[in-house]
Amino acid sequence: MHKAPQTYKEYHGQIDEALHDQQLRKTLDKYAVTYRENRAKVMRDIDEKGLIHAIAEFKDEAAAHMDELYEQFKREAEKRGVHVHLAKDAAEANQIISDIGKKYNVKRIVKSKSMTAEETQLNHKLEADGFIVDESDLGEYIIQLRHETPSHMVMPAIHLSRYQVADDFSKVTKVKQDPDIDRLVKVARVQLRRKFIQADMGISGCNFAIAENGAVTTVTNEGNARMTETMPRVHTVLVGLDKLVRSIDDAMIALQILPRNGTAQRLTSYVSWMCGAGPCASAPEGRKIMHVVFLDNGRREIAKDPLFHQIFRCVRCGACTNVCPVFRLIGGHKMGYIYIGAIGLILTYFYHGKDKAKVLCQNCVGCEACKNVCSGGIDLPRLNREIRSRLVSDKDDKNAMGSLMNAVMTNRKMFHTLLKFASKAQRPFTGGTQFQRHLPMMFMKHHDFKALPAVADKAFRDVFAQYKPKVLNPVMRVAIFAGCAQDFIYPEHLIAACKVLEAKKVAVDFPMEQTCCGLPLDMMGQRKGVQKVAIQNIKAFANGNYDYIVCLCASCCSTLKKHYAEFLESNGGISEAAVKAFSEKVVDFSTLCREKLGMTADDFTKIDEKVTFHASCHQCRALEAAQHSRDLIAAAADYVPCFEEEVCCGFGGTYSVKFPEISAELLRKKLKNVADTNATRIVMDCPGCVMQIKGGVEKNHMGIRVSHLAELLAERVKR
Amino acid sequence: MSENNQACIDKFVEMAKAVACHVTEVSSTADILNYVVDLCEKKAPCELLVDEPGTATGPLGPNRCPTRVQRIVAAPQLSDDDFASLKALCDEKGFLCIRDNLRKYAAGIDVGLSEAILGVAASGTCMCDTTNEDWRLAGMISECAVMIVKKSQIYPDLPSIAGFMREQMGKGPEGTFTSLITGPSRTADIECVGAVGVHGPLEMHLLLVEG
Repeated sequence: MHKAPQTYKEYHGQIDEALHDQQLRKTLDKYAVTYRENRAKVMRDIDEKGLIHAIAEFKDEAAAHMDELYEQFKREAEKRGVHVHLAKDAAEANQIISDIGKKYNVKRIVKSKSMTAEETQLNHKLEADGFIVDESDLGEYIIQLRHETPSHMVMPAIHLSRYQVADDFSKVTKVKQDPDIDRLVKVARVQLRRKFIQADMGISGCNFAIAENGAVTTVTNEGNARMTETMPRVHTVLVGLDKLVRSIDDAMIALQILPRNGTAQRLTSYVSWMCGAGPCASAPEGRKIMHVVFLDNGRREIAKDPLFHQIFRCVRCGACTNVCPVFRLIGGHKMGYIYIGAIGLILTYFYHGKDKAKVLCQNCVGCEACKNVCSGGIDLPRLNREIRSRLVSDKDDKNAMGSLMNAVMTNRKMFHTLLKFASKAQRPFTGGTQFQRHLPMMFMKHHDFKALPAVADKAFRDVFAQYKPKVLNPVMRVAIFAGCAQDFIYPEHLIAACKVLEAKKVAVDFPMEQTCCGLPLDMMGQRKGVQKVAIQNIKAFANGNYDYIVCLCASCCSTLKKHYAEFLESNGGISEAAVKAFSEKVVDFSTLCREKLGMTADDFTKIDEKVTFHASCHQCRALEAAQHSRDLIAAAADYVPCFEEEVCCGFGGTYSVKFPEISAELLRKKLKNVADTNATRIVMDCPGCVMQIKGGVEKNHMGIRVSHLAELLAERVKR
Repeated sequence: MSENNQACIDKFVEMAKAVACHVTEVSSTADILNYVVDLCEKKAPCELLVDEPGTATGPLGPNRCPTRVQRIVAAPQLSDDDFASLKALCDEKGFLCIRDNLRKYAAGIDVGLSEAILGVAASGTCMCDTTNEDWRLAGMISECAVMIVKKSQIYPDLPSIAGFMREQMGKGPEGTFTSLITGPSRTADIECVGAVGVHGPLEMHLLLVEG
């Protein structure tokens, strides 16, 4: 049983260990790439977005009617000879199952994979009560032999090598087993067949509990669930109340996405539908003794939560884990308690408590890769930020950094004065360059993987008047939202944007009262601070009569455009209409250039320079604008695609401060992919990524130019 | 036959092959029975995964388990006449041909013959009535599973078979067990490397018949 980390120090120790596990790294790396490719292939046959939307809809409906569906299921299943139980928590569920075993004089139990049984830690209880329990899913069998917990919801033993498995199998069979995967799979076939035959009771999970006819459904590949459900005289199903669905039709919708998302299969080898207690030759009266135990464990309460009820859209496909760049580096044991990955961080908070979740839930880089693939369209990054916010308001997160940031960043004048002071104070460390070259060692310990940027001599707000486009008959009026990084560290990005906009006859304004977008505060769970800066920003732009508010930072842009409405949902400080009017005007630079200004190759003097691209997380996923940037790069230069262009560079704002070791590793992979393109320049749409990638390029003396898209365009735009 | 149906059949075959099914078109019951007997004859003898007292055993198989001397074909779904024909063919070869009490041979059988209610083109899936335990076991404990699929009963995708599922699952009076089967048993649990034949069949053969 692994422990959830209680302190950052403890957690950093665990992360370090995982980062140095070469086998784990190799397996997860390979899996991330093949999964992505294979998933894309099988998704082509179907309307992915439409089906995800349909799943969200029927799962929301089911969550809203959880109690009724339970009653309906119970009625229908009882008609067909099934005993139905409802357990309020894990202990009660385990007790019920143990009692079922005792009632029917069960000695041996065979189990097929059930994450719900992991949630309740059922095996501990059953073994303590004297039952012999054997896991039959190959991955679960392996980790049971090792006394470990699953490290992935679909592939529980993904962290192990064939050599480790061969050693474990050699011990259990007392015969030396070769590390040949095909052979090892057959060892399990041989070892487990007798367990199925000997077992008195089978315990399975359930993917869909169908209310219309009281059927339980299991979705599997190995065939172990079918053996578990068929051979023993007793079959007990443990299922969360969230698995209730209205109908067979609902299950059919989900079955088109679940296997594609889980393992990139069109359908798993077996989907079994048990509707009632059917014939069973090993049972005393020739009929299966069948029990279904529903687990509440907080689910009925969560179902009523206006925001968090959406976690029940989860079909346990594991896709959020498969695409997570952090999981890819450290594996599931370091990225969850029982449930793994993005959904795992959230479920840990609800099912296993704040104490287990408080450190783990910080380990999300916020790249939104998970949200982009989730079978139920769950806004996982948002829910995770919401949990951080709850932890802060519950005072469970005694985070000095977050409180300090809140105090400083919600006071624009103080914040900006401090930044200006920093531009002077850093001089002994920069040697006049754009980097902090000589930071005292105390700041350097985990952060020396990249050169840290220096604060600019003059902020954009101080030089804007000088660069403000001089346009006589403007075709459009836009206001710039700078964001802290471009206002104070990279004003050159915004100066470049002014040049491009001037060439296209766009009038540009810069409202001085604007401040931080609020994202860094949100990442720290400082919700009140977020609301304060959001209102200040909306008010700063309210009276300008702008056609658009352009933002050259993908992260700020997605915050302003996509998250302000939710931040200010129930805040009396500002009207919903004002928030909407603001957010609708916000546009990122690439979209402004391509869609609003219609810029094409005709607008540029193309240069014969190989330029590659990093698609910033918020640009390619939250804003879905990466193609605009690719088109613009290709219009101005020789665009060379980069491997894993859309994978996070590891910046993640405050994430790189909290988890520098993971940030460094993500950056290392990004730089390798960039180097492989042989491009002489890399372009992106986010100053955070510029900071990260420029810092890495500088540190490693790679000699590649790192630019914001606006800089490339400003150089090549025809005037 | 409508064009749509032919498109469904083509898709079904393509998708079934994509999940490692062997797909063969056959034109008569005799073809089916001969296919089964041929397959049984050509395959390596079934390994006994557990002891089966009283059964003659041969040399160890690839997984160091003793092998069956007398091969077994199970065909619980066949009509009396067709079963009699199959049994006659098996007798000629010295195979045991069974149609009930499959549990007795849970250590493993060579070939299991089943018949699907329908096929699903989008994934190469067979929908099967597996309420009867012997019908179910034929597709579970056999090393080679053979499935008969009627060409006229192939439907485009999962939503299009929801009604048939409802009807099948409702066939009480006791409980029912309905299966969607797509290729042989498989896993990728060790190093994410795909392998077939974990707990179920090592091979899946689909026989497409007219009608």
